[in-house]
Amino acid sequence: MKKIVIFILICTNILFAFSAKDLQALREDGYCTQCDLSYADLRGIDLAMSDLSDTNLSHANLNDTLAHKADFSHSDLSYATFENSNIKGANFTDANLKNVNFFEARIWKGNFTNSHIDKCNFNESALGSAIFENNNLKNSTFKDAILYKTIYKQNVIGIPK
Amino acid sequence: MKYLVLIFVLAISLISSEIKFEHNFDKALQKAKNQHKEVMMMYSAVWCPECRYMKEIVFKNKKVNSYIQKHFIVLSKDIDKDKLPSGFKYIGIPTFFFISKSGKEKGRIIGGGKADKFLVKLRTIK
Repeated sequence: MKKIVIFILICTNILFAFSAKDLQALREDGYCTQCDLSYADLRGIDLAMSDLSDTNLSHANLNDTLAHKADFSHSDLSYATFENSNIKGANFTDANLKNVNFFEARIWKGNFTNSHIDKCNFNESALGSAIFENNNLKNSTFKDAILYKTIYKQNVIGIPK
Repeated sequence: MKYLVLIFVLAISLISSEIKFEHNFDKALQKAKNQHKEVMMMYSAVWCPECRYMKEIVFKNKKVNSYIQKHFIVLSKDIDKDKLPSGFKYIGIPTFFFISKSGKEKGRIIGGGKADKFLVKLRTIK
């Protein structure tokens, strides 16, 4: 019985890892900096031009989200998912992008300068005119991604062909 | 002389395979009626890389090109210069509106994509 209670407590903790207050603030104000939105389900929220800098968004679900020109700089997006999202012009500068799923996302003009990219799935995404600078792209996949006029600046390792 | 003729013929065939963009709604509609086609109105901008990709890469894809030429008259509208005809609204560029002979919207594609995927979307419209 004790084990079951502990298990439920752990599950509850995982399910509600984000701060409800922060999520409410994001819904009402359209921005939330230095917030805890880890594990949050942000599908369907209009995040266009939102300031989500320096925010914990690890494991967050951002699938099918409209978040063009959103600011994710200095945020932790590890294990977050952006499948089929519109994140054109989004700023990922200095963000933690470990194991992020960008499958079929529209990331035209996205800025990935100095972001920690590791094992990301960019398959079938649109990365035209996106900026990569000081990144390691070796462990990420770019199958069938649009790399039209993608910009690779200094210190980019593993540029996709 | 022989080579010159050959180059000329090749140049003509290349030019004719390019999609011709109309800019006037009524003219495009009339042309579509005359040729038993529909109008595909592209709303885009010069500064939009996705729009440029569609025009420079996808529209030049052999399959996409021939499908568009066969079924549509392409009307190009610029977000900075042109107003959309009344009744048409957009949420982002590029947006492709498909207009029936009566001048009404019958479908739309929001955003671009690789040639093969765009062709699948086109086929669902017509």
